[in-house]
Amino acid sequence: MSTRAKEILVIIMIVVFSLVFYFRKIAGGKEIIFSNLVAWVLIALLVLSLGLILILTIKGSLIGRRVVFIYVGIVLALPLFMPFTQKITISPEVRSLYEAVEKLPPGSKVLVSFDYDPPSAPELQPMGESFIRLCFQRDFKVIIMGLWPQGPQQANIAIDKILEDPEMQARNLRYGEDYVNLGYQAGNEFVIQRMGSSFKSMFPSDYRGIPYDSMPLVRNIRNFSNIDFSFNLSAGFPGSVEWVQIAVDRYGVELGLGNTAVQAPQMYTYLNSGQVVGLLGGMNGGAEFELLCDYKGKATKFMLSQSFSHMVIIAFIIIGNVAYFLGGRKSALKDK
Amino acid sequence: MKTIGLFRFLPALTSFSIAFFIIFSPALKAQAPDDSLSTTSPDALAVSIAPPTSLVVFDYKYDDGEALELTWVPSVDDLPVVGKVTGYELYRSDNGGEFYKITELIPGSNNFRDEDLSTGVNYVYYIVALSADARAASVKTEAIQTHREWLNFNLKYLFLIALIISASVIYFIETARRGKKLFVRKIAGLEAVDDAIGQATEMGRSILFIPGINDMDEVQTLAAITILGRVSRVVADYDTKIHMPVSRSLVMTAARETIKASYMAAGRPDAYSDDMVHYVTDEQFGYVAAVDAIMVREKPATIFLLGSFFAESLILAETGNSVGAIQIAGTARPAQLPFFIAACDFTLIGEELFAASAYLSGEPKQLGSLKGQDVGKALAMLVILIAVILATISEIRPLETVRYVLDFLIQVFTIKT
Amino acid sequence: MEHFALWLAAFLTLGIISFLYKDNAWYKLTESIFIGLSAGYWMVSLFWDNFYGKFWVNKSESPYLYVGAVLGLLMLLRLVPRIGWISRWPLSFIVGATSGLWLINYFSSNIMKQIEATILPLFSAQFGSGFDAGAAAIIGNLVIVTGTFSGLVYFFFSKEHKGAFGRTAKLGIWIIMITFGASFGYTVMSRMSLFIGRIDFLLSDWLGMIL
Repeated sequence: MSTRAKEILVIIMIVVFSLVFYFRKIAGGKEIIFSNLVAWVLIALLVLSLGLILILTIKGSLIGRRVVFIYVGIVLALPLFMPFTQKITISPEVRSLYEAVEKLPPGSKVLVSFDYDPPSAPELQPMGESFIRLCFQRDFKVIIMGLWPQGPQQANIAIDKILEDPEMQARNLRYGEDYVNLGYQAGNEFVIQRMGSSFKSMFPSDYRGIPYDSMPLVRNIRNFSNIDFSFNLSAGFPGSVEWVQIAVDRYGVELGLGNTAVQAPQMYTYLNSGQVVGLLGGMNGGAEFELLCDYKGKATKFMLSQSFSHMVIIAFIIIGNVAYFLGGRKSALKDK
Repeated sequence: MKTIGLFRFLPALTSFSIAFFIIFSPALKAQAPDDSLSTTSPDALAVSIAPPTSLVVFDYKYDDGEALELTWVPSVDDLPVVGKVTGYELYRSDNGGEFYKITELIPGSNNFRDEDLSTGVNYVYYIVALSADARAASVKTEAIQTHREWLNFNLKYLFLIALIISASVIYFIETARRGKKLFVRKIAGLEAVDDAIGQATEMGRSILFIPGINDMDEVQTLAAITILGRVSRVVADYDTKIHMPVSRSLVMTAARETIKASYMAAGRPDAYSDDMVHYVTDEQFGYVAAVDAIMVREKPATIFLLGSFFAESLILAETGNSVGAIQIAGTARPAQLPFFIAACDFTLIGEELFAASAYLSGEPKQLGSLKGQDVGKALAMLVILIAVILATISEIRPLETVRYVLDFLIQVFTIKT
Repeated sequence: MEHFALWLAAFLTLGIISFLYKDNAWYKLTESIFIGLSAGYWMVSLFWDNFYGKFWVNKSESPYLYVGAVLGLLMLLRLVPRIGWISRWPLSFIVGATSGLWLINYFSSNIMKQIEATILPLFSAQFGSGFDAGAAAIIGNLVIVTGTFSGLVYFFFSKEHKGAFGRTAKLGIWIIMITFGASFGYTVMSRMSLFIGRIDFLLSDWLGMIL
């Protein structure tokens, strides 16, 4: 069979597969969960095949990069069907964030800045959800804003999700009194700078156009000195670095961070020097925080996939290094 | 052109004045409009909770005369969990007028900074503790006025150190201008630039130059454009093809000017075309998708990834690696460096990017800045060394002089907000 | 409509993922849609947030905004080659203002505060606690102090890396590389999270195979 024919065959298979499952969903099909036995058999097969790849590599036949991609795809998807849950241990920087929030008395005003867009949502959205949920549970007042245009929309998605929960509905949270979404403001770090003197100058109205002064929650909030705690969800620039340098260092704001794992290591410097009170780094940080909040969100759900993929990557690092050193330090992949 | 001379100093002038204002003008604040504050008359004293005591008000130091600082001892009934106090209300009277509520505070509060005040007005305060069914007011404060200070002495050490470093930058720039050769250590990876371009020429393939995804206000982008000047000069000499997709319109114009100047200098202005540099999109991953596709389709022999990168760094470097290009990368974003180191042949780590830019351009301004910053680094190393030794000694044996010097050093580097 | 939106999102997601197999027409289509859409989005967003939201709405309140508007107009003069050089004036303003602001912020956050945080008694958990630190705390202190110091040595450009200075610089680059390794691990996690996000969309929102 020619390559072209194989490609067409694969596409047809994908289309058939998706149509079958889509109609199954419409017909009210339930979620699929493997039994313990199936799950363990699959895990054993994975381990065996990785062992086989290692043996083949030692014998000198290298794998292509597509094999790595397929493995990663499989180990990310499979755990979502498995009946196991991942054991999560809480790291000090997550605990310190939780404790800082716990210390705040009811009625505290918490500023949450959503500085990310949909591409980073898988990591940061669960953090946003669990953090705001915790704030509502503790009767804090939540003020939302964004330095990225799509940030406040992500916040709305989070709020909608939180309010689906009957426990939260029972709290009768009112917009304008218990929480507001001030929306996006252009100007990057200068927005934080100006907020140091006046929130209202940067957000004359909220994202729906309601004037600042007509919302009871923010009416009396002039600047950072009226805020009890700040939380920043960041995927890059403008984000955590700017919040630390301006809001914390110039205006003395107490700040916690939720970061994509990519930029989390950079934030440890600020954690170590006490400039930030706590840090949620990547999905792991999100899952740990969910555990502390006693809430099973997406981060917890995805942790098993995360761990499986890490195992496979470690396996490929070993295989790659074996190939690299046995092959006289040349590329460890066939199709380089 | 006369104007050129003036605008050369404009950035320096603006940045200096802004820095000066930030340091020295506590008054650098926007005029916030008056909030609608409720006016209520003073409360009758209730007896079932104790009032806050020792309410003290004093002028907030180093500001434009618009803030007062208040501290008090919370009510004895204000205890975590079991306490009766549900919050506080703070009242103020201006110039002997009626008292009105200026803010509500949460239990446990013991201080407040009242802002947006005016000079020449007499302010009197009192604070009320609230419980579910009672209120207890403190004694009123003495009348007080705000004071305006011109200089913020909280930042005096910061100013001093900035002054030392700035002065050494200026000194070294002037030294370089006078033609004295300034030593900069060899930077690994720089020699590779010419070889990489040579190889692209031999293979008859193009060179891809990616200047990061930040705009021209990012110093890393500026460094990348400086290095582009050198790269495009060699490219023009060798008659190699250069391709530069960018994600910012300003970067596009700056890059076009730079490459054009290089082609002119090489005496081949006709070989230059505006198409060498083109704008793609501001959207991070949209830009990545386009650049990846260019890499796969054009299969450039050499790829430069210099400037400010974010999450796209690994995707770009990995794709470049997969098409077998020689890759020379450099960024000062610590989070992105690991990927460049893993996937590229040569990486300029952090400040090496700026050093390379200074080294290649030989420009007095850049060389002088680099040397000036070295003075700053030497200072930092010295302070860390001395202070750590002193700190360790003072823990072993508490000597008064050691402690005194140590406290002074810590105080110098502590920034009060 | 909802069905169409779901299928379109799935079609585009799979189109981008298909690049892992090889560059193909499906990917090219998806890529072009993404680039066109994002360029358009940014243009509209910048217009409404900056020009309309910042200038047009507030222009009567603050006359200073006209200064910014004029600088913005000057920037557009680049389109006229003969007087294009005028556009360098607003550019100078941007570069100057940004560096002025950042000079102070970087100085206080990344230099002063970090030096302050590096001043540690090596064998104590904190100041005034005497010789009480456990092995972990001592190692932690040593890593922070030597790491910062040797890192600074590595980035010192006025001296050739030779002798003791060179060895310290070497230690510096080793510590930097170890930091990078940890950072790399974090990024693997980040990338996996993004991929899980997409797989979750495909398997949950689109096909309903999981919750």
